[in-house]
Parts: sequence; C-alpha cells; structure tokens
Amino acid sequence: MIDSFQNIAVTSFPEITKTDFKPIENKYLKVILINTFIVFIIVLVLVFFADYKNILEFIENTIWIYVGMVFCFISVLIVKKIGLKKRKYAVREKDISYEKGILFRSLTTVPFNRIQHVEIDEGPISRLFGLVSLSVFTAGDSSDDLKVSGLLKEEAKQIKEFISNKIDG
Amino acid sequence: MDSTANFSQFRRQSKKGILVIYLNILYKAFKAFWIFLFLFIQKFSKFSESTLFYIYVGVALLLIFFFIRAYLIFKNFQFKIENHHFILKKGIIKKTNTSISFDRIQNINFKQNIIQQIINVHEVNIETAGSSKAEISIKALSFKKASALKQAITIFDKSATEQAAEEVETPLLKVGFLELIKVSLTENHLQSLLLLVAILISFFQQISDLFEGLGKREILDNYISKNTSSLENSIILIVGLLIFFTIIAVLSSVVRVVLKHFNLTVFVKNNALEIYQGLTTKNAVILKKDKVQHITISDNPIKKKLGISFITFKQAISGKVKKKQDKIIKIVGCKGAQIEAIKTLLFPDENLENFDKNFSDSYFRNRMYLRGGLFLSIMNGVLFLAFDVSHAFWINILLIPVFIFSIELSFRKQYYLFNNEFLIVGQGTIETHKTYVPFFKVQHVKLKQTVFQARKNIADVVFQTASGKIKIPCISIAKAHKIYNYTLFKVETSQKSWM
Repeated sequence: MIDSFQNIAVTSFPEITKTDFKPIENKYLKVILINTFIVFIIVLVLVFFADYKNILEFIENTIWIYVGMVFCFISVLIVKKIGLKKRKYAVREKDISYEKGILFRSLTTVPFNRIQHVEIDEGPISRLFGLVSLSVFTAGDSSDDLKVSGLLKEEAKQIKEFISNKIDG
Repeated sequence: MDSTANFSQFRRQSKKGILVIYLNILYKAFKAFWIFLFLFIQKFSKFSESTLFYIYVGVALLLIFFFIRAYLIFKNFQFKIENHHFILKKGIIKKTNTSISFDRIQNINFKQNIIQQIINVHEVNIETAGSSKAEISIKALSFKKASALKQAITIFDKSATEQAAEEVETPLLKVGFLELIKVSLTENHLQSLLLLVAILISFFQQISDLFEGLGKREILDNYISKNTSSLENSIILIVGLLIFFTIIAVLSSVVRVVLKHFNLTVFVKNNALEIYQGLTTKNAVILKKDKVQHITISDNPIKKKLGISFITFKQAISGKVKKKQDKIIKIVGCKGAQIEAIKTLLFPDENLENFDKNFSDSYFRNRMYLRGGLFLSIMNGVLFLAFDVSHAFWINILLIPVFIFSIELSFRKQYYLFNNEFLIVGQGTIETHKTYVPFFKVQHVKLKQTVFQARKNIADVVFQTASGKIKIPCISIAKAHKIYNYTLFKVETSQKSWM
C-alpha cells in the first residue's frame, strides 16, 4: 500500500505556513467601532420604543434589558478588537491568502489563475478613513470567496493591478 | 454536411413549435388557475345560463389570446450562428439579443416531452456555466435540424473531429427494464418519501389557501385534528400507517426511477458521454469530459450485493443561481466494468486502488456525538413543551441507537486519499459515496479550525470547486497544511483549463 503523503513527488513547494502575513490597517478598528455602535443605537431605540409603549410589560424590571444590551455591546467590541489582530492577508507570487477568526479560525487561499474578477468596495464609513475592501471571485458558487476589509485604498489598487496583470498575462 | 451554411442566416424553429409553445402556455395557465377550474366544476349547476355563456366566451377569448401570444413568441424567436457565436433574438415587446461564444457552451441537450414525442420534434437546450439568462431553450426542431445545429456548434471542437473516426456505436451501458426495477427497489426510499411528502405539502398548501379564502379553514383543521387525536390512541393504526408509508415510499421510488431513467443508454463518443433516458420526457445529454468538475460513485449495502452503483457527475454551476438539479447528471445501474470504463475515460491512467486510506481524527466522532446530542436535547425540549404526556419521550429509545449507529458508520466511512493528480474523499452512513476530484479543478482552498480543534491540533480542509464544496473533516494540522500546499501547487502550475 502507498501512503498518499509519501507519494508526493515534488518535495519543495511554497508553504503557506512560512509565509509572512500582513495585518490589516489598525484604523479599521474605528470603522468596526462606529458600525457596531450604529447597530447598537438602532437596537436601543427599538427597545426603548417598545418599552415606552408598554409592549414589554411581561418583564418585571426592564432595566435589566438595558444592562444586558450594554454588556453584549462591550463583549462584542472586545471580541472584535482581538479579532482584528487576527485578520491578516498575504499576496504571494501566484495566490492571495486571508486569515481570520479567534473562535472560528479560517485560512483561505485563492490562486490567481482561478480568479474571475476582482472588486474594490468603499463603504460610507470606511471612506471617512480612506479604507476599502477587496474581494476576489472565482467560478461556481462564489458566495464565500475571499474578501479582505480594511485595506488602504492605494494598497488595494496595487493588489488589484497586480492580480489583473497576472490573470491576463 | 454543410450544416454551418444552414445557420448563417436568422431562422425560426419548426412550425410545429407554435403548438408546443401554445400547449406550454396552456399548461402554465392551468397550473396557476386549476383551483378556479375546480371551483367552476363544483358550482357548475349553480350558474345561470347567461353567466355560463359569458364564462365560455371569456375562456374562448383567453385561448385565442394565448394562441396569438404563442404565435408571436414563435415569430420573434430567431437564431443563427456567426463567428463561433450562437446568436438568439427573442421577445415580443421587450426584445433581447443573446450571443454565446462556443467555448462557453457547456452542454447541448435534446429533450422530448410527450407532446414533442407525438409531433416528432426535439427541444434543444443550450446550457452555459454563466448566468441563468444565457440558458437557451429552442422548443421545437426536427431531429435532422437539431443534430445539424449540434454538429455546427461542436464541429469547431478540434479534438472531437479528430477522434470522430473511431466512434463506437455500441453503447457502453444499457439498462433494461428489469434492471431498472432492481435499481429502483434498492433506492433510498426515505428520500423518495420525503420528496413525495414535499410535493403533497405544496399541494395541500394550495388547497388550504383555497379553504382559507372561503372561510372554511376551521372545517379542515377540525377534520385533521379529529384524525390525529384518534391516531394517538391506536397503535394498530400507527403500524398500519407505517406499512402504508413504506409501500408508498417504495412505489414512489419505482415510479420516479422508471420515469426518469427509462431505457437509459450511455454512449462514449468523441471524448464525451452521451446519455439518453426518460419515459414521458425523453432526455439526451452530452457530457463533455472537460466540463465535468467532479464525480461521485455511490452505492448502498443492497446495491453492493447486486453489484450495481450510480455515478453522479457535477458540472460547473453559476454563482447566484440556486443549485440547479438538472445540472447534476446521474447514471444509475452501473456495473463494475462500466464504472472502470467511465473512470478511465474521465481520468485516464490513474490507479488509485492501492493507496492507504487516511482517516479523520476521533475528534470528528466526538463532534458528531456533540451535535447529535444537542439535536436530541432540543427535540426533547420541544416534545416536553408540546405534549403533556410523557409517552412522547419513548421515541428516544428508538432514536438514540439510530443516532449512535449512524455516527459510528459515518465516522468509519469518512476517509481520503490522493495521488499526484487526484483526491478521493469517501463518506456516507448507509449509502457509501466516493468522490473523485482532480486537484487542478479546485477553485480555492480553505482551512477551518475552531478553538477546540486548535487545542487538539486538527483542522477541516474545504476544497471549493466550480460545482460545490468538498470537505475533509478533522485531520491533523500538519497533514492539512501539506495537502493545502500541495493543492495550491497543483492548481498554480496547472496548464489545463478547468472548464
């Protein structure tokens, strides 16, 4: 019987573990902060409105809802802050990789010669900080292809250019 | 054959197409309004003669309107071939002009439903991997024209013409009626039953919508609750129902398989598989070798005894469209030799039999137990809330062994192995599935790890192909990295086109 792992004829090829990953911009934390804050405010207003209209009367002390919400908000912020440091990307000669997550880690690599198109998005809040997100799409069900948020606009453009050249060339 | 000359000018489909389109519209209208028809028949005697007259006139006008519409659709549906592109003009008011390059065409399929069989025309479907808008369906062409069109589109495929000389006319596989019955009896009957139930539920919903509209909802509900309460009391009835459902399930699989796969014949031609099947709707599919992304060979214990299995071919699907069932092509009732033949056609010179199987870490089993346990406790919680009686919990006695059994089975059947070009992933519980995927067809790779997995140094590897995901769960991180790097290496150095 043959062991699949012994059978690999080529012994040296670029290893993903030895690649230097670059963290995304620290400024992106502010974007996350503002985004989370907006969601929080919306939920808060909704809950407050419901409270005002006495829809929540089956709960004895509504103050606990607010306490719980603030607690959720703070813990989400902490998770996001630690998570930000884990968001890293790497562009190699022939592929682009993205790593993220604390509780659920994932590492995705898309080879350039399978990329169908590249997209740069600018969110309204990201724009204030000059940040963009770069997405690459492959064929098939490309719902969870690679997306790197929090890149400087210039850098994203350079990567896009680089990939486009590789695809055409 | 000067087939290209025929198609250089815009042309219409065969005149019989008007009939096909007309009946198609009628069928759609009937499907949408059958409830009105039902009501009409029910209240037939209550209408006065004059209203009846108006209704008849209305229906007649509607039929004429549909006919004019069908005629206009036919009149405006024109196609031609120009510069390796298939060009289609259609639309009555909103005109669309579609142009598809030959390289993008994935399949050209012939289809014949009952009407098309009677008037002897073929429906030609041109499939692409792109958006659903680019799917073209020509409703009626004579067989001669249809094959000429196919020839014209495929003729530029150079490799195909070279090998055309050594065509073999004997089918690779022909499944007779008895064989088909054997296949259908060993199908996954549970799946058939669920399909049937799904159809019945949508049917029931339509009816209950109707009753709701008429304010008779309560009657129906009463009827159902009366029946269910008596159901709880009588065990005989439950056993009877179980037997009844089993028979229904078996019958429905037989009907489903026979309708779909009747007279299944597979030819190997020009490096492609030609598959013909179907009873009421005849289907001809040409499966180009390069367009197949991955294949899965499946069987279950009974099928294994009989030495038959089925092969599923997966082709590229487009991004935003929902999973299209018809892009998954299935050949049932394959014998061992035929599987070998298909394998050598698609993946020549590959011997993968004498490789060691690599199994998942025992964490995989624990995870399944955890998820199963979670599911069971949620279910028990719901049972607790829904029923006051504790009898409902007896179902656990049945469910827990089933859970343990299936988890142990799926853990044992989960394996993977690979050689220089291919990855094989095995999985399954009662059925056994073996998926073959060439490394260079992978679109991107993903390594996934939860905190708990990280502690045990294991990870999941997910391969995304153009036709879906293939997952190897819970293998050691070192191996995961190796296979990850190797896949990237193969994809990035590959010169072959994945489609």
